[in-house]
Amino acid sequence: MATATAQKPVDRFRQLSDGDAEIQAHGKYFSCSYLLDMEAHSFLVRVHHGRIEELIVDPEPLVAYDFAIRATAETWQGFCQPTPGPMYHGIWAATFRRGMRLEGDLLVLMQNLRCLTRQLELLRVTGPLG
Amino acid sequence: MSNNSRISPVTGHYVTIDVEGIEYKVFYLENGEGQPLVCQHTAGAHNHQWRDLLEDEEITSNYRVIAYDLTRHGKSDPPRNTDWWKEEYKLTADHFVAFITAFCDALGLEDPIFMGSSFGGNVALQLALRHPDRFKAVIPVEGADYSPGFYLDWWQHPHANAAQVCASGVWDLMAPQSPERDRWATWFYYSQGSEAFKGDLYFYSVDHDLRDRLGDIDGDACPVIMLTGEYDYLTTPEDGERTAKQIRGAEFIEMKDIGHFPMSENYPRFAQYLKHALQRIEERTSLPG
Repeated sequence: MATATAQKPVDRFRQLSDGDAEIQAHGKYFSCSYLLDMEAHSFLVRVHHGRIEELIVDPEPLVAYDFAIRATAETWQGFCQPTPGPMYHGIWAATFRRGMRLEGDLLVLMQNLRCLTRQLELLRVTGPLG
Repeated sequence: MSNNSRISPVTGHYVTIDVEGIEYKVFYLENGEGQPLVCQHTAGAHNHQWRDLLEDEEITSNYRVIAYDLTRHGKSDPPRNTDWWKEEYKLTADHFVAFITAFCDALGLEDPIFMGSSFGGNVALQLALRHPDRFKAVIPVEGADYSPGFYLDWWQHPHANAAQVCASGVWDLMAPQSPERDRWATWFYYSQGSEAFKGDLYFYSVDHDLRDRLGDIDGDACPVIMLTGEYDYLTTPEDGERTAKQIRGAEFIEMKDIGHFPMSENYPRFAQYLKHALQRIEERTSLPG
């Protein structure tokens, strides 16, 4: 248990995602790269066939990805609660009501929406990544 | 017959109706006796969203609950006597209202209460405006005078899995507190409606605009009891309250810990609010004069 509690949120996120029954059941073609911009830090997630291949904290400039999900630290704080409050409870809700921005190639986001939605809900378990 | 076998008292029927010269074969589920309560599902969905209401004996002992599938949804096919596949589907307020009144006429319903959610909530407001004499009351659930922002190409984009985009695209409209089983049932219904969802939302986000008409609704002749969930990011409680305030005699109730599909995502919680709304209608319509 000591190891688990000391685990960094990014590592916990990878572990949860790669072990998630829903993502593994439906993620055969879940492949995309996206940036989570959490204001103080950003996180580049590369998913291939349902598994997180890479998770880079504060990637270098000019690193490419398909789409970005950007919000203030305050919005992410609400988003990453075990039971988020109203309007913090998903990327659609937060985009409509809490200033979250979906940028880049949104077609790729939509193509992967099912598993991505599940993957982002794992942030309710890990809390903000940093 | 095993001990677990059970036949539901809910029955299904088809009725053929004529709306604006076009023939529609409409499927509906019903159960109960008494005051008719006509229920409209949300955009891109079908009448199973009302599954638990249809079997709620506390309600069906006094109300005849009728939940139909709008044409192109569930078991109500597109019309047989038009080449519907040659036109882009865009639902209008005029057609939606005509469809509902024709359906109620075909069933010979007298003074029904109309309840709808989301685009059904919006059309409930249209009915109160246009036909206050035909409905005893309306219960707009997750409705508002105007609800822009959801008429999106993503719902029917050929390069994405439209079934999953529609289903997961509305996932956030449900509250995290709602039982996972019921949220997934609602997700499943949405995976079945992607050829209608966008066209439905033409009504929801574009054609429906009552911002300048709310003062013309006579909420005394046709009581309007609005219910909105606090997790609804599309028609927020603020939108519902703002709308109700501008309708004479309307009442607004915010529902806690629930989202945009209350009857489907968490019926037990919704039922508390619905029973209160029905009680208010009873009180207001039974007063002399």
